[in-house]
Amino acid sequence: MKTKPGEKSLVLNALRRSTMTAIGAVLVAMVLLASVLSPYFLDQYNLQSLIRDLAFIGMIGIAQSLLLLIGELDLSVGKMASLCGIIAGMLMVHQGVNPVLSMIIALALGMMLGALNGTIITRLRLNSMVATIGMQGVYGGINLVLTKGKAVTGIPESILFLGKGNLGPIPIPFIFTLIVLVCILFLTKKTKTGRYIYAIGNSKEAAKILGIKVDRIRVLIYSVVGLISALAGILYVARLGSSQSAIGENWPMNSIASSVIGGVALTGGIGNPAGALIGAAIISVIQNMIVLLGVNVYWQSAVSGFVVVIAISFSSISGMIREKKQRSIKVAKVAATAAETEKKG
Amino acid sequence: MPVLEVRNITKVFPGVVALDSVDIAFERGEIHCVMGENGAGKSTLIKCLTGVYEPEDGEIYIDGEHVGHQNKSLFGKVAYVPQEIDLFEHMTVAENLFLPYEKSSFKGLVNQKEIEKKALPILEKFRIKVRPDDLVRDVPISAQQLLQIARATIRREYDALILDEPTTSLTTDNIQVMFDIIREIRRENKAVVFISHKLEEIFALGDVITVLRNGKKVAYANIADKDIPWVVTQMTGRVLDQDQKFYSEKVTEEVLLEAEHLTGAQFTDISFQLKKGEILGFYGLVGAGRTELMQAIFGYLPVYTGKVRVDKADWRLGDTHYSVNNGFIYLPEERKKYGILPMLSVRENISVAVLDSLQKGLGISAQGERKLALDVIDSYDVKTPNYDQPIQFLSGGNQQKVIIGRAMCCNPKVLVFDEPTKGIDVGTKLDIYKMMKKVAEENGVGIILISSELEEVIKCSNRIVALYDGRVAGVLDKRADKEDILSAVIGIKAKAPPS
Repeated sequence: MKTKPGEKSLVLNALRRSTMTAIGAVLVAMVLLASVLSPYFLDQYNLQSLIRDLAFIGMIGIAQSLLLLIGELDLSVGKMASLCGIIAGMLMVHQGVNPVLSMIIALALGMMLGALNGTIITRLRLNSMVATIGMQGVYGGINLVLTKGKAVTGIPESILFLGKGNLGPIPIPFIFTLIVLVCILFLTKKTKTGRYIYAIGNSKEAAKILGIKVDRIRVLIYSVVGLISALAGILYVARLGSSQSAIGENWPMNSIASSVIGGVALTGGIGNPAGALIGAAIISVIQNMIVLLGVNVYWQSAVSGFVVVIAISFSSISGMIREKKQRSIKVAKVAATAAETEKKG
Repeated sequence: MPVLEVRNITKVFPGVVALDSVDIAFERGEIHCVMGENGAGKSTLIKCLTGVYEPEDGEIYIDGEHVGHQNKSLFGKVAYVPQEIDLFEHMTVAENLFLPYEKSSFKGLVNQKEIEKKALPILEKFRIKVRPDDLVRDVPISAQQLLQIARATIRREYDALILDEPTTSLTTDNIQVMFDIIREIRRENKAVVFISHKLEEIFALGDVITVLRNGKKVAYANIADKDIPWVVTQMTGRVLDQDQKFYSEKVTEEVLLEAEHLTGAQFTDISFQLKKGEILGFYGLVGAGRTELMQAIFGYLPVYTGKVRVDKADWRLGDTHYSVNNGFIYLPEERKKYGILPMLSVRENISVAVLDSLQKGLGISAQGERKLALDVIDSYDVKTPNYDQPIQFLSGGNQQKVIIGRAMCCNPKVLVFDEPTKGIDVGTKLDIYKMMKKVAEENGVGIILISSELEEVIKCSNRIVALYDGRVAGVLDKRADKEDILSAVIGIKAKAPPS
């Protein structure tokens, strides 16, 4: 079949959509399974708390997917979130600063911390993983210095709705997550910067030869990740009604896992930030199911960790199956040719 | 009876016949040189001799035994030293010699002291003046080259030794040491296959010579009976369509780019001029510093000292963004790694260079982008099912056309083509030559062509700069003698003009 250049090939487009459709289908299947296994799953209260959890993992996952797209990652997202939450809380509670202004200051701080991560990584030519392991130690340490390990309580009532409230049936943090998703999708899919992000993820060297200011864009992405982390941290403070240094403990790992489940390659260049949100939803449903099915409290973390590893393996296992198929096809072909030549000879 | 022999072997790659019915026999106690230009089939031949490739047709005999599927282990009798150093640089000399400890009785344990003791006589035999517990990265490159030979030969009972350009990074003294060792190996009644670009080495060392050209064996002779010009004639042959030239016929006198005394990590004191509408060839051996020089002017690698002017204005070095936006575009040799964005579509690969002009409001104009992609696909005759095809699934030639088309979208003043036809079939090669000529003549672009193929440089260049060891060895006219050009790039001073 011959197509003219530029004519859309339906098959190809369907294939391209297939990663997203596939994970979407997995999510639907898990939701169906969960609702069959537990009568409480579809309960409004359960769903709302699930979606509230999902909002945070999803938001950080979307941010992390941006970094994975350029082949890097940030393990300090959780500590940046808790540090910004603590700063916001201390400003509001101890310094009596206007809550909205406190939150804006904390958001700006998040962006600066992200920019700091990015600057250190690009200027000193460090591996992002190693550098952010170090930086999360720094941010976590500052947390402890500021709070001496105690939570900042007494967050003003006026902002608690940001974490606890609902808009109609939908938890407000999830609305923020959707807003973040729309912004990030616009950035990656529609703008010049978005194209450059994919170009850098495909090949940093080729991007540099194309005249793209690679390091500038990398710092920009780290800043955006810092900003989103701060937002998630502040919303979580509003949800709890107190600032704690324990906020965001699992966020680095969960955000990477949701991106990978959502089809964003760790090596960069492939994937869609929306996939990270679906990946986060899959993780949240798994964790929720484990609770609903009454798994022993002490086992919950082990079981959910194991199931997440299985979920991450989906794409590589399907790759292995494909490889095996191609192999058997080729072996059969070679055997057939050999048999034929033997007949002739 | 030859110890290693190929009869009638043919190896085909998509678009190229790399080896075409080649017969060669390598005898014991003989140093057999294999020569040919880049792309003549030497590497393919080695890969067939060492069992890496399986030829489509023909047979390989080792010690008179036909090598088939059942007895591939015969390839164990062929020792091979690759061109690049592939030692483990963070391990010691002794460890490198004995890894992976096949013949040791260590049973899973490695006795460092014992292998160091065992390494001593070997180091002495190969005249490698280093300690067995030195780290490989700390010993000189010449010792590393000898170490490679030692490692290849001590590990097993071998009958034939293949050396692929073993002297590329050696100085004259070290080359003598290596030659002595190779002669010793000949005295041990082994067959030596010696591959080199350097003609004088062939004549100093070799017994017999086989010349390959375009995948065919074109000559076999006793080296004692022949001289350098004969080898050069055999290597280059007659140009198939001699009259078809691709150099620019509209060279102006206006100097477009001027480099003055440029020095960097791998090039020294280089000066040259490029005129508007000219195609300037840069010819030299691999490692002569051609690519590094151009990447440095482009801003990708550092320049230590020196100055560049473009259109009589000082040029900012070290900033690829500046270079691209001011019309200096570099088209890299390693297309797969540095040229294309493999997982992105043809459309995105084209538009990524000119997103500024496609800006519409906050985003990118999808319509403008599609039109641009179709334009490039059309005018550069890119064969692709559609513009949404990921570029990695296109053939090398079509990828190259996309890259050239993309470069032309930026209205370049200077275009650097680094090995533009490497791995590209003959038909597309001609297309690319025509494109270069057209761009130079119609757009007045100055073109720098880096190539390892003499034929290509002569066909396409108005002038040729020969580089040797990071320095300009001569600037030659397009009508220059092939022999003069070859002499310059292998470090022989050009013949003095008859007085």
